[in-house]
Amino acid sequence: MSETTYIVATDVGGTCTDTIIIASTGEIHIGKALSTPPDFATGVLNSIESAAEIMGVPRRDVLARTTLFVHGSTVVDNTVLTRDGAPTGLIATQGFEDTLLVTRGAYGRWSGLTEDGIKNPVRTDRAAPLVATGAIRGVGERIDCDGDIVEPLDLAAAESAVRYLVEDKKVEAIAVSFLWSFFNPAHERAVRDLIERIAPQVYVTLSSDIAPVPGEYERTSTAVINAYAGRVTRDYLRSLEALLAEHGYRGQTMVMQGYGGLLPASESGERAVGMIECGPAAGVIGAKFLGDLMGDTEIIAADMGGTTFKVGVIQDGELDYAREPMVDRFHYVAPKIDVVSIGAGGGSIVQLDPKTRLPTVGPRSAGSRPGPICYGLGGTEPTLTDVMLLIGYMEPSHFLRGSMTLDADNTRRIFKEKIADPLGVSVEEAAIGIYRIAAAQITDLIRTITVERGLDPRDFVLHAFGGTCGMLASAFGEELAVRRIVIPYTASVNCAFGLVTADVRHEYSTTTTLASDVDPQEVNAIFEPLIDQARKQLEAEGFSGEATRFDWSVDLRYRRQVHEVTTPVRAETPLDTAGLAGLIDDFESLYERKFGKGSAYREAGIEMTMFRLTASGLMQRPQLPVEPEGEAACDGARIGRRPIFVEARGKLVEADIYDFARLSPGNRFKGPAVIHTPITTIAVQDGQTARMDGYRNIVLEMEV
Amino acid sequence: MTDIRSVSPTLVQKAGQIACRACGHELAAAGEGWKEHAVLDEKPLGDAGGAMFRSEGNVLLRRFYCPSCGTTLDAETALPGEPFLIDRVDWS
Amino acid sequence: MDPMTFSIIRHRLFRIIDEAVITLKHVSGSAITNEGHDLMVSLYRADGSLLMGGVGFLHHLTSAAEACKSIIRRFEGRIREGDVFLLNDPYTAALHTSDIYLVAPIHFEGKLIAWSACFVHVYDIGAMNPGGFSPQSVDIYTEGFSSPGIKIVDQGEMVQDVVDTILNMVRSPEMVMLDLRSMIACNNVARERMQALAAKYGSDTVDAAGSELISQSETLLRARLQELPNGSWQSRQYLDVNGETATVRLTMTKTGDRLVFDFTGSSEQSRHAINCTKWASLGGLFAPLFPLLCYDITWNEGVIRPVEMIAPEGSIVNCTRPAPVSVATVAAIQSVNNAACATIGKMLAASDRYRGQATTVWHANHFAIFKFGRNQKGGQSIGIFTETFAGAGGARSFADGVDIGGEIPNPISRMANVETVEANFPIRYLFRRRMKDSGGPGLWRGGSGGELAVVPHKAPDGGIHYVISGKGARHPMSDGLAGGFPGAPNKYAWVKSEDGADVVPEDAAAGGDPVSWGVFPLMGKDALYVRWNGGGGFGDPLERTPDHVVADIGNDLVSVEAARDVYGVAVDGKGALDAQATQDLRSRRRAARIGREAAR
Repeated sequence: MSETTYIVATDVGGTCTDTIIIASTGEIHIGKALSTPPDFATGVLNSIESAAEIMGVPRRDVLARTTLFVHGSTVVDNTVLTRDGAPTGLIATQGFEDTLLVTRGAYGRWSGLTEDGIKNPVRTDRAAPLVATGAIRGVGERIDCDGDIVEPLDLAAAESAVRYLVEDKKVEAIAVSFLWSFFNPAHERAVRDLIERIAPQVYVTLSSDIAPVPGEYERTSTAVINAYAGRVTRDYLRSLEALLAEHGYRGQTMVMQGYGGLLPASESGERAVGMIECGPAAGVIGAKFLGDLMGDTEIIAADMGGTTFKVGVIQDGELDYAREPMVDRFHYVAPKIDVVSIGAGGGSIVQLDPKTRLPTVGPRSAGSRPGPICYGLGGTEPTLTDVMLLIGYMEPSHFLRGSMTLDADNTRRIFKEKIADPLGVSVEEAAIGIYRIAAAQITDLIRTITVERGLDPRDFVLHAFGGTCGMLASAFGEELAVRRIVIPYTASVNCAFGLVTADVRHEYSTTTTLASDVDPQEVNAIFEPLIDQARKQLEAEGFSGEATRFDWSVDLRYRRQVHEVTTPVRAETPLDTAGLAGLIDDFESLYERKFGKGSAYREAGIEMTMFRLTASGLMQRPQLPVEPEGEAACDGARIGRRPIFVEARGKLVEADIYDFARLSPGNRFKGPAVIHTPITTIAVQDGQTARMDGYRNIVLEMEV
Repeated sequence: MTDIRSVSPTLVQKAGQIACRACGHELAAAGEGWKEHAVLDEKPLGDAGGAMFRSEGNVLLRRFYCPSCGTTLDAETALPGEPFLIDRVDWS
Repeated sequence: MDPMTFSIIRHRLFRIIDEAVITLKHVSGSAITNEGHDLMVSLYRADGSLLMGGVGFLHHLTSAAEACKSIIRRFEGRIREGDVFLLNDPYTAALHTSDIYLVAPIHFEGKLIAWSACFVHVYDIGAMNPGGFSPQSVDIYTEGFSSPGIKIVDQGEMVQDVVDTILNMVRSPEMVMLDLRSMIACNNVARERMQALAAKYGSDTVDAAGSELISQSETLLRARLQELPNGSWQSRQYLDVNGETATVRLTMTKTGDRLVFDFTGSSEQSRHAINCTKWASLGGLFAPLFPLLCYDITWNEGVIRPVEMIAPEGSIVNCTRPAPVSVATVAAIQSVNNAACATIGKMLAASDRYRGQATTVWHANHFAIFKFGRNQKGGQSIGIFTETFAGAGGARSFADGVDIGGEIPNPISRMANVETVEANFPIRYLFRRRMKDSGGPGLWRGGSGGELAVVPHKAPDGGIHYVISGKGARHPMSDGLAGGFPGAPNKYAWVKSEDGADVVPEDAAAGGDPVSWGVFPLMGKDALYVRWNGGGGFGDPLERTPDHVVADIGNDLVSVEAARDVYGVAVDGKGALDAQATQDLRSRRRAARIGREAAR
């Protein structure tokens, strides 16, 4: 026992803080606690405590024997959403002070709105900016599109700008963003030196550091978000590390980034924007890890909790990145795994449109308080969870390990009065219709994220996570005609699980334009300094030799077209002529796959616009225990029968109910059926076969 | 009828009369042109709006004020000699 | 039909358009389509009536319906599965020749069940001036290729001789081909998805849902009209071109559940390319009507039924062949947009119930400036200044207009980054920013417009040229409401370098010679200065909350002079409100208006 060591991963989400502890013996333990904003660290300790309790080991002992603590947190998202960051100022190129506020015109006004919002422009506005009122100052300087200095930096003006922001506007953070600074950061760096000299207490972010890419609006917005949330994030991570140390942990804290890699807490604290949406990213990383184990390379990773449905896609074993990421309604540019979402979760409120009398689901949510009607905590608005109860997918006495009894009568009564009666149909008919609407919305969202990239959902395996997803996955998975549906053993803490499957990753890039027919040595010369820098960085973190990996990729585009495609270099590096030719070929086929046949304008020629290096420090991987799959029969796990909704029959039909805890690997049975797990319910449709695999995942196979 | 009916953000109709919403001053009988009974301020737009409004054009800004409280009831741009824009609400 | 199936089909129809739009943008890859969102995709029923309008340039929704109908008439008996038709003749249905419609029938199990239609502003159409807007054109014959309907894909096969003929008449045929390919791909996606929908629910059910959706929209709009007061409202738009002024006059009358737009009294058609045809005018008045009156109603044929248009033949809003129309989308059509927005705004503002939806006119004045020439990499560049897609929002009855916030007829546009432009054109911006004092003063201020200045930079030919169809420099066009001022007018200036010295930003903003119509050089060290209009103001500026004015001064959106002269707000030397002086100023101003002390 004293030999056992642990990897601990904790993911702080908006509602819950999830922990997964993987012991060196292969055992997996799960912990859950409510998140505790704004002091998230308390929730982290509570969550670890909850897992330690189940293990029967004191928390201090667990932490003392922890070799690695991996962390994901919503702290940056939360700081932005609640407008709880530092008073922030911005220094920009004179003549372009309004770049941030103008948001490339209407872009910032409509971005992030739903169809209904966009159709009513009279009621739309931008989000109030994160910079303090009047705290933007222009300074004389100008660099051109080649990085040449057209006008030198006016240092005296810069100094008075800094003094104005600090003394008059009382800012505590300053973002500096000049035109073309990613080509030539000299002016931005001179301003940083100046601030460090005359106002050392101020937190500074340079656009050329945080987002060295073309496009001044997005780069400036990124710098501002980082400056705004920077200190809060740094302080949070420092205090978390101190707290963990106090409770016995002696190792390093690794922090998940939105691109799915880890960074040491000390570095992560300087790059707040990197942490945005790192939880959902971890979820996709976890799905990829499971997919690798199970031999699946094409995965749709869907997560449905109380308020939102989130989905990411893994294609050819690779992750895809968001093209225009946003936090709240602010654009930023940083590599981030593309996860799209709609406001549909268990708590989503079902109502009738006051004008058309048509039923709608979400985006408003009853949250966890008052929550769905069936929780009996005072909720009076029907939610999707209530619908699940009405169509037989939830057992009133079986909820959350039986710790809570659901109020079916009251749910039925209110639902009848508010939804079914006005529609003039029975409670069952109305509930079935709403279930179908939710499934259709999700189907459409998944179709968007796949079709948008030229992908066919029929080539994919669907991984379903979260408390609500298991009840819907069999329905929307069927409609999308995915190859298979997997509800992982760790589905309820999937994001935390994803944390322990990630590597340390640093992203470096250089922006410059080269024609595709250059000497490959020119490309190699661009990567050399990046590799030097990366190697040093990884060495400082304790990675070298076998434990490091360097992946090259290049953004290419057809001249006169706007779409750039990040194309991984698959050839040996440094590149030779054949390797470069292979890269161009790969770009062409990727382009056609993403943008459709006939979309390439070859006659204009191809150019490379950005050179990216991903440097990885490979982490120890958890060893998941695999059990041999035994016999198929599982009558012992069947705990009853009751009417449940069966899509193919269009009505409620008597079906088998199974207890997850009594199933063992190899068991299989045909739908229609329902499986109760300690946290959630899995619905199995007619024509589907459910099987528990060696990892205790539930796998649904469709009838062909 | 003593109901007060909305005619525009600045005007109401009550007892068959168009009146200033702010002060209640009656301008004209409903159905009659009220603008003729307001105080007309007509000047080149460049003089009324400041430097940004100066142009080579000779467009005028017409403002119609309530004769009682001086509130702007409506405004329109016009070239010299243009008739007033006529807006009316039928509360019959 | 059960409400759930209906609801799902409705949602699916919208998603089909969404997917088709994505395809269009992806395949095209052009800046105007991707950045400006200068595009439209919609679905039509088997008879060509609008089934579901997408969010794009909204004045195309009804015109493309007419395009479908005219293809149905012209090709009756020869419409087959897999066909794609091209139509861009403005006298048949299109808005101007460079906005090409591709219209495609959708068959299911051998039966015609619907149509899809889309447009993009193609790279070039072979008019006198490059880029599509052709200010020097004198008639339709000088505005490039135009067709009242031609089959370019026959049962899935490209009709190569026809396509080659079209490409033979345009500049940059490869780019135009790419535009055509993107629209074909877009129609293909729409067709496949519609067929899948029909396969799942049955084509009769889908058609029944479409029919119900249309009657639902009609019912909802009629009910809304019933809730609005009866009355008539007028607006007037001055359109200045090359020193001449044309006028669009509109009287909008609402009676019961009907709405009539009457353009009687508008100017005769112009010799300049600012005219528009009647289909274009109809589209022009629907562009604001959809979002202003139907923000919560599905955009389809049902919305069109309660509305009637009267547009005198031979006028600027219903011109007769061969009047030139290539600039129409930013001229007469936009004036129709503005006039309709103004009268609808007045009607909404008249209603206590709907005042919260009332807006003044947004971005009334596009400035179509196409720059072209050899760039710093030695290639040819051509492209519009996308700032024209970033107009100023009009003031609302409850809030200021959105500064540089876009426009109503094209709700989801955006402009390119300065760095994107400088990377592709041999020019350098001196500034690009919001324009002080440009937003129409009012209780709620119109959104600020903007200003920019560019100079040649590292240009191999010493500079570039540009085609400008500039208007609105003489007269403001973004009307205010309820006593609010209009937004400030546009300005286009050629700022010449003195003795070879660099033009500095202050000079660029202050001076220059006006340019407005035709092709001009931007060479050497000269600068092009463009200022674009603010949105209209709402209500009396003297009633604006003084703190809001002070904040505007702090944000450099209103000058101290305008605060004093227009808003009656006084500030001290530090820019803080002088409350007493403000109160005095305002009561003096009010008294001066009526020649005696005011009654309140």
